[in-house]
Amino acid sequence: MKLTRGQGEIITYALGSCIGIVFYDPFLKLGALLHIMLPVRQNKDDPNLMKYADTGLTETIRKMTAFGMLKSRVIVKIAGGAKMFEISGNASFGNIGERNAAAVREILKKEGFRIAAEDCGANYARTMSLDVATGDVVIKSSGRPEKHL
Amino acid sequence: MRIHDYGEMNLHDLDVMREIGSIGTGHAATSLSQMLQKEVRITFPQIKILGYDEAVESIGGNVEEIVGATLVKMDDDINGIMLFLFNLELANTVFEKMMGMTYPSFEQFDEMAYSAMTEIGNIIICSYVNAFTEFVDLNISLSVPSSCVSMLGAILEVPIAEYGYETDKLMYCTADFVIDGKTYRDWLLMLPDIASLNNILKKLGVD
Repeated sequence: MKLTRGQGEIITYALGSCIGIVFYDPFLKLGALLHIMLPVRQNKDDPNLMKYADTGLTETIRKMTAFGMLKSRVIVKIAGGAKMFEISGNASFGNIGERNAAAVREILKKEGFRIAAEDCGANYARTMSLDVATGDVVIKSSGRPEKHL
Repeated sequence: MRIHDYGEMNLHDLDVMREIGSIGTGHAATSLSQMLQKEVRITFPQIKILGYDEAVESIGGNVEEIVGATLVKMDDDINGIMLFLFNLELANTVFEKMMGMTYPSFEQFDEMAYSAMTEIGNIIICSYVNAFTEFVDLNISLSVPSSCVSMLGAILEVPIAEYGYETDKLMYCTADFVIDGKTYRDWLLMLPDIASLNNILKKLGVD
């Protein structure tokens, strides 16, 4: 998870089945970009909180709140959750992206955040960046035009 | 299970895995060589236990680099993933031989190219797996192959996400191919899960 304020750009590269989650408070020009890999932290001893949707989101929200983020003005955008390989006859393989996206949406809803925009699913990788000065979220993927969320 | 984490493997275990990798890679190189009708050399295989960042770095460094990949899942006595990566040059070398045509970029890949890529990857992976199953006398069933063209980082993320609950690091059995004097680094990856690793070692009498 990366967090910055005022100006600068935060980027997370090559989101496949992972999800990138942007929190942006336009009043403070405060932004965070979280990159999660799996939906739930099953092993409670795992110190790697930011790898999982549940603990990663809680931790990011806690930090952003400590920096003055208000739930009423924060803008949340998510991207990623692709299914990279499709194996016929084995539907469960590689649908981790879908499960990640579902987990992120559910947790955000429970915490009372509305997702302003999202670019999830399909089968291609994405690079996600947030310009903290303007709040502009850009999704780049190969062979596709840049997308502003 | 004797080994609970890849980090617990001793030198002897690593040697055994390297030998298996060596047999598999040798056969894979032979089938690639037959397809290309060219000499394909391999370097001494390596066993690497790496996290995601290190894996990307070890393979090429640029997570956004576009590569093609064929993936086959292993089941039964050994669970794991086999990955074969293509850069455009390698794909074109094979396409030229197979279909008499090349593609200027991955974006121009059509159904035919994807299908050919899947098949080539499948042949190489199957010869690898066949060779080492014969050696360790284990029963492995392989899934149908699947291909994609995407960013390197996102492709390497697949096995990490698949086994993410078991471990932060993965074991990569890799070797470099040398075709026409050009080295293709770490383009064939075998990633068995922990239980399978124990299975292999037990079967070979390493306890």
